[in-house]
Amino acid sequence: MSVKLTASALAIAAVAATSAAARDQVQVAGSSTVLPYASIVAEAFGENFDFPTPVVESGGSSAGLKRFCQGVGTEHTDVANASRKIRDKEIKACAENGVTDIIEVRIGYDGIVFASQLDGPDYSAFTQSDIFNALAPKVMVDGKLVDNPHKKWSDFNADLPAEDILAFIPGTKHGTREVFEEKVVAAGCEATGAFEAMMAAGMSEDDAEDACLEVMSDGRAVDIDGDYTETLASIDANANGIGVFGLAFYENNTDKLKVATMAGVEPSTETISTGEYPVSRPLFFYVKKAHIGVIPGLKEYAEFFVADEIAGPDGPLAEYGLVSDPALVETQDAVAAEKTMGGDS
Amino acid sequence: MTDASLPTDGAKPQSGSLTTLDARTKKRNAAEKRFRAYGVAAIATGITFLFVLLFAILTSGLGAFQQTFLTVPVYLDEAKLDKKGNRNIDDIKKVSTFGYNPLIQKAVLAEVQKAGIETPLTKSKEMKALISASAAGQVRAAVIENPALIGQTVEFKFLASSRVDGYLKDRVKREHLARDKNIDAEHLDIVDGLLEAGVVAKTFNPAFIFGADASESRAEQAGIGVSMLGSLFMMFVVLFLALPLGVAASIYLEEFAPKNRLTDLIEVNISNLAAVPSIVFGILGLAVFIQFMHLPQSAPLVGGLVLTLMTLPTIIISTRASLKSVPPSIRDAALGVGASKMQSVFHHVLPLAAPGILTGTIIGLAQALGETAPLLLIGMVGYIASNAPDGIASGLLDPNSAMPAQIYEWAKRADPAYYERAWGGIIILLIFLISMNTLAVILRRRFERRW
Amino acid sequence: MPVIWLCVIVLAISIVGFVFGRQRALSSAGGDARALHSLPNYYGWNVFMKVTAPAFGLIVVWLIAQPLVIQNSIAGMIPESEIKEGSSIGLVMAEVRRTAEGLNNAVAAGVISEELSLDAGADVEALTASLKEAGQVVTSAITQPILHAAQAYRTMTSTGSLILAALTLLLSLGAAGFAIRQADKDYKARNTVEQGILALLIAAASVAILTTIGIVLSLVFNTAEFFRLYPAADFFTLLEWAPSFSGRGGASKLGILPLLWGTLYISFIALLVAVPIGLFAAIYLSEYATPRVRGIAKPLLEILAGIPTIVYGLFALLTIGPLLVSVFGDDGAGWMSGGRAVMTAGIAMGIMLIPFVSSLSDDIINAVPQAMRDGSYGLGATQSETIKQVILPAALPGIVGAILLAASRAIGETMIVVMGAGAAARLSLNPFEAMTTVTAKIVSQLTGDSDFASPEALVAFALGITLFVLTLALNVFALYIVRKYREQYE
Repeated sequence: MSVKLTASALAIAAVAATSAAARDQVQVAGSSTVLPYASIVAEAFGENFDFPTPVVESGGSSAGLKRFCQGVGTEHTDVANASRKIRDKEIKACAENGVTDIIEVRIGYDGIVFASQLDGPDYSAFTQSDIFNALAPKVMVDGKLVDNPHKKWSDFNADLPAEDILAFIPGTKHGTREVFEEKVVAAGCEATGAFEAMMAAGMSEDDAEDACLEVMSDGRAVDIDGDYTETLASIDANANGIGVFGLAFYENNTDKLKVATMAGVEPSTETISTGEYPVSRPLFFYVKKAHIGVIPGLKEYAEFFVADEIAGPDGPLAEYGLVSDPALVETQDAVAAEKTMGGDS
Repeated sequence: MTDASLPTDGAKPQSGSLTTLDARTKKRNAAEKRFRAYGVAAIATGITFLFVLLFAILTSGLGAFQQTFLTVPVYLDEAKLDKKGNRNIDDIKKVSTFGYNPLIQKAVLAEVQKAGIETPLTKSKEMKALISASAAGQVRAAVIENPALIGQTVEFKFLASSRVDGYLKDRVKREHLARDKNIDAEHLDIVDGLLEAGVVAKTFNPAFIFGADASESRAEQAGIGVSMLGSLFMMFVVLFLALPLGVAASIYLEEFAPKNRLTDLIEVNISNLAAVPSIVFGILGLAVFIQFMHLPQSAPLVGGLVLTLMTLPTIIISTRASLKSVPPSIRDAALGVGASKMQSVFHHVLPLAAPGILTGTIIGLAQALGETAPLLLIGMVGYIASNAPDGIASGLLDPNSAMPAQIYEWAKRADPAYYERAWGGIIILLIFLISMNTLAVILRRRFERRW
Repeated sequence: MPVIWLCVIVLAISIVGFVFGRQRALSSAGGDARALHSLPNYYGWNVFMKVTAPAFGLIVVWLIAQPLVIQNSIAGMIPESEIKEGSSIGLVMAEVRRTAEGLNNAVAAGVISEELSLDAGADVEALTASLKEAGQVVTSAITQPILHAAQAYRTMTSTGSLILAALTLLLSLGAAGFAIRQADKDYKARNTVEQGILALLIAAASVAILTTIGIVLSLVFNTAEFFRLYPAADFFTLLEWAPSFSGRGGASKLGILPLLWGTLYISFIALLVAVPIGLFAAIYLSEYATPRVRGIAKPLLEILAGIPTIVYGLFALLTIGPLLVSVFGDDGAGWMSGGRAVMTAGIAMGIMLIPFVSSLSDDIINAVPQAMRDGSYGLGATQSETIKQVILPAALPGIVGAILLAASRAIGETMIVVMGAGAAARLSLNPFEAMTTVTAKIVSQLTGDSDFASPEALVAFALGITLFVLTLALNVFALYIVRKYREQYE
């Protein structure tokens, strides 16, 4: 008994002693939206350089940035992937832990599309107003702001099928939800005139803005906290449902899904990069400058990520569904110069 | 006997014979049968569920064990791969995989034309949709390993792209291609032709079982081998820590502990820990092992430690149950011939309880083997399992994933080919589980006894 | 000297001590083991134990105390001026430690010489450059005072390790000598060793307490931070769960009640499925089944416990959900609108829990003494009457324990809920509506994209600790019940 215990204690001590040794691969953590792109880059990086393949963890922008901000040293991650910009509070928390020099890299844009079952009802064209009319708790009917009376899509837009409203939207944990609310629901709110009506009814501007983002919780809008695969499975099980997906996910699943246009524009990497298609968001990764030159391959990884042959319009990332950043050259220069946020060192 | 003992008028006589059943006995026998039927029904239900699940898993996952390959001779053009022509390894390395792609695409096109397939696709670039993105890396690695190959024509066996593979597995259907920008119907015509010519073939793919994870765009290349090693190392940690700790704790609580506050506290703690959601153990692992003890992230060692803490209560609870089931007479007998309490426990009770302990340990290990949630927080989910560990220390400390985490990750990925791989991974996981169970059953059969 | 070698040396000493102790005891009894108080090996173990226990104890205590002591004395060396605006002494100390470690590693790697690393007047910039070259993490240029502190840190650390090594060796040798001298035929070695083993057993049992403390500690700070940002009263009493995506407004409503309700409802349905099936299966297996049937059915059922929960999640979503919709949905009874519902998740979870109930109950029913069955049969009871009236009551406390174990699995289960029950937090009695649980929300808030310092992300810790306290209360209650009605046989 005691022999076993001491042996295991020894094993742990031995392991703890050796673990202080330097790490030789780049460690990345963060958003699961960026993960596909990061994994493609990491794999190609491993193939083309003598450095080991970087490790890319998922777990959300929140957890990724939290780990990133925990401190400087080999036990902390080098790069954080995020599907949103780092927030001021997070920058402050970073600084408190000694992480002061952060390089922000925008890798491109992620399009967000509305799609439904391939053989399901004919959802082919939406506008922001349609989505707002379907899902918002208060909508405009005949010029008056009333509690949402709509049950079917055809109730407010005769071009849409007479199907029960059912939408699978990203849960409140997702960065996608923010884009969905601000670029679709809020835009619909303004377009239908509900925003003005709210203001006219005596709401303050802030309150009206918040009210514009609200989505009904009576079961017609189903939050999906998981990934797009979960949304896809929900669509599979409900023929009348529409789902919110990333462009890349949709393009990989065209055999099950059909996409709807938004405000008359078909989503594609081209329409999104020109800004015609309205619903998209930028994707980022953040590099800890203190680790450059220490963790082998870190700078090379960052440069490789934004290189033309990777992140350019014909590179593997665009092929997979990332909308290439028109200002990629500036990003490349910034990475090469190790330009940090807020500073210019 | 007198007349007084005879039944009075009106009352039914007691049945005279034991061979004819009265109503009450019939009722009791019927109840007996019913009760038995409930039991059979319960087991049948459970096993039906099992088979429905297994059927679903097998039908969805068996495809992952086969993969489509293209066998293509590639001319390794010196003008492209070694411009200076001096076979300097550093110069050769400067040509990235992007430089190899045109050569491969050209080779595939040549193959298509050789097979005499009529197709409107005549540019080598249009062949890109047929082959996996891993092909360039494969050729580059071969060239770097042996620069003498440059200038020769070498035959390579490339993975077909996941769409082509899906077409041969009936996952990709022609009628859905209209909006698929990854592949066109013309490509599938080529695949049909190449299949006839024997260039394209679907064969068993050992790389799925032994290989490393691949990125999102290369579903065809991904394998579960590296994460299997991760799981293996984690299970070693769990077994070597949880079993001795759990058994020791159970022995103390069941055999020695005085009935006092401390014992109560420990007991409540253990049953409570069994109820703590596994994700909370993930939070604990992150805080204690990574942030406090500075163990490396994504390391199987940390995963193993977290899973140890998680399985400990399960093992303790079942070990205690089996210690309890050893009759007190065994202990009394040992004490009676002069053994100390400690000796009676270690020499007599423990061996007799071993089969039960084994059952509990197996359930605990199975639970640990299939657990995903805590691994999520200590960084074992993502694109992690890309390099196989090269030794015990590296196996314990280098970033790795685990089988369930890898399956979870695959199930999330966009390419439907990963969906098939996720189910395939589940098949492998279940094979492990079933072999563990079989081993336990064999051991238990040999030692189980009824008091 | 690395600690690992120290441990190996201590182990070597104790093994030698084992041999000597055993021999000495034997020779004191003239080579006749029967004259000894304890078996010969006990004398060896006595020495082994007395060498390892204090030595390892010393090492552990020293390793914990040394950094604290050094930290304190070094902190005094750092001038106020080094602590920049917005920085803290802790941050500077981290810098010092990093520099010291960097120096150590650089010397070990041979990039800089031992003399240079100790040279107080060394050129700071050159040193920084060579540290970077040696692959060490250096945040910004090292300043003179930090370098001094780091050098002092290194010296103190290496002196400390030396003292530790010397002390440990002395201690283990001394203990070995003492214990070997104890080895005499009349010495009660067995009692001592058994006491040592008992201490080990207690230590193993205490791991549970340590784990609990660890969990509470890792949750409590973040929870406190959460309650600083969000009123506790709202958290516990609000009937609505509606987090907004952080970064705007702050209009989040984070009430735990709908989540708790979902958790309990889904667990209840899961137990409704698992307990009857599991219990009847256990009864049949242990009382009726032939050994052959038992040998096949039991392991088959146990496979259900090992199927990864994500499979159950997919099964719930793709099979159970649509099935339920076709029966209870718009075309049938009209109670159900989508595939995700409490029932969907509950049934899938119930299937998963069957083996938890059946295997454990089976073991417990098996443990009821055969004499009780024989007694019942002797009185003319049928087999089912015996089971219902004798065996089950006797096994009840254990069965309740098994069910509680299953219940705790149900409450803690995450993946099935995430996939089968949906993510909508709702207070409703209809089991065909989508609801969500505490665990599902812990995962989603922790792995989400929201600002990590916001209440929306921190709420996960508050949820975790609430669940923890809740299960604790439930368990205390259950333990009380089991104790009260427990029966002891023989």
